[in-house]
Amino acid sequence: MRRERLFLALQMTPIMVVLFLLFGGALVLAIVQSLGYAPWFGVNTFPDLSYFRALWSSPSFWQSLGLTMYYATVSTFLALVGGILLALALIKTFPGKTLYKYLYKLPLMIPYTVGIALAVLMLGNGGVLSRFAALFGLIDDPGQFPQILKTHYGWGIIAVYVWKQLPFITLAIYAVLLGIGRETEEAAAILGAKRRTIFFRVTLPQILPGIVSSTLICFAFNVGAFEAPFILGGGFPDTLPVVAWRYFNDADYTLQLQGMATVVSIGLIAGVILFGYLAAYRRFEKRMGRN
Amino acid sequence: MARRSTESLASRLSPFQKFYLIIVAGFVLGPFIPLIIQSLAFRWAWPDMLPGTWWLEQRGKSMMPLAWDYVLSPYSRIWEATLNTVGIGLAVTVICLAISLPAARVLARERFRGKSAFEFFLSMPLIVPEAAIGIALLMMFIRLDLAGSYFGIIIAHLIPTIPYMVRMLTAVYQGLGRDFEEQAIILGASRWQVLRLVTLPMLLPGVVAGALFTFLVSTNIFLLTFFLGQGKIITLPTLLFSKIAGGTLDASAAGITLIVTLPGIILLIISERFIKEEAFGKGFGN
Repeated sequence: MRRERLFLALQMTPIMVVLFLLFGGALVLAIVQSLGYAPWFGVNTFPDLSYFRALWSSPSFWQSLGLTMYYATVSTFLALVGGILLALALIKTFPGKTLYKYLYKLPLMIPYTVGIALAVLMLGNGGVLSRFAALFGLIDDPGQFPQILKTHYGWGIIAVYVWKQLPFITLAIYAVLLGIGRETEEAAAILGAKRRTIFFRVTLPQILPGIVSSTLICFAFNVGAFEAPFILGGGFPDTLPVVAWRYFNDADYTLQLQGMATVVSIGLIAGVILFGYLAAYRRFEKRMGRN
Repeated sequence: MARRSTESLASRLSPFQKFYLIIVAGFVLGPFIPLIIQSLAFRWAWPDMLPGTWWLEQRGKSMMPLAWDYVLSPYSRIWEATLNTVGIGLAVTVICLAISLPAARVLARERFRGKSAFEFFLSMPLIVPEAAIGIALLMMFIRLDLAGSYFGIIIAHLIPTIPYMVRMLTAVYQGLGRDFEEQAIILGASRWQVLRLVTLPMLLPGVVAGALFTFLVSTNIFLLTFFLGQGKIITLPTLLFSKIAGGTLDASAAGITLIVTLPGIILLIISERFIKEEAFGKGFGN
């Protein structure tokens, strides 16, 4: 019995070591540094909340936070709506379905930077969309094309996130839809339910686990993403990851602690939101009588 | 496809859905057409829908390598980035598989105290923002002299890949059941023989799917490589980032974008063969 337990622990050891040392270690280090522990810079005022106080009392932090949340929420929501519609279409049969199921997944396989390059090409003021606008006589100068990239509305950033995550969410929901089959929907239809009712009362509750897990992952990614806001964003105020990176690369290394406070803030805020989301979902599941 | 016999009228696409499928295809794939054109252009003035001067017309006249000549030359560092991407991806996949297999077996089959807490911890890397992990790790790696090293990047890539791998493998183990292994033990097989002759062959489809997915995630990672590589190690995503960081896309950047897309297309073709759609569902569901 004891040997069994030892063998069990042995099998778990490698993954525990990697996760605890790297991931846990990085988290703990970030937290203690943001609280003023950095003896290698000659700074050791642990525990010291002044970095958080300085950060949280500056209005630009809250603007950055607002922007970060805005990009993350809007793009996750758009990708979710688009993904549900696409998954519902994909379970039907249609000619060319095999090929289509290959093609729509392409963004899933390639880096975000490709999406950013495509956004630059399509949405810039001299880009393909503005050429189309000129072709149809809507504008006669690139300057007249509405600015899409490098503004704080962030439509370029949102377009990249949606482009990349719509297939991801579709795939997660489609997999759940395949698993549940169509019997319950057919039963509801036979009992006289309308299409809307079937979707909201029968289909949606069943695909909810797929929705929750995939949107959780997308939202968390969007909050922590760096490259799209860095290239396509509107400059100051930047999103929090970009702010943290700028602090970190500042010649004044004491600002690194400020950067760490920013990083810890991102983690805390994302953690609270995602935890609340999961808790709400669990409550819903309980109410539905699932565990 | 066993459901074909029960298909009713409702299994056809509505007109809206047909329209929607076309829109999505246009949104996802459409931008690649101007991308290909841009990679072949020399001069593409504003309102024109096609370039005025093509790369091939200017190729002989220029002293500098243009467009694809530049992309495929050593100056663009595209080969170095491709080798790095594939090499790091392979190493990450092998290590991730090796450490996730035993853990997935335990998670699928044993009950122990703190199991649900451990499972929660395992999925944490998926929901802690990457920027937070990246900068904190960089701090740690600078102390340990791992910043800018292959080893540092490979172990950093383990963080976002482990959760997927463990979930997919746990699902496979759960589906496997214990009966075959128990019978092999009753018939006198050693632990090693059971693993080699019974468990692994039955696990193989799930292992292939998990490995492909891990490789895919690793080759797509930008932030961890960019932060921890310190500019010394470039992969395809970070190379492309440096080409488009200015917010413009010239012919050579368009060419590089296309090259960066290529591994994804290859992976797409392979993964359709090996990964069942349901496997993704198991990987994501909780």
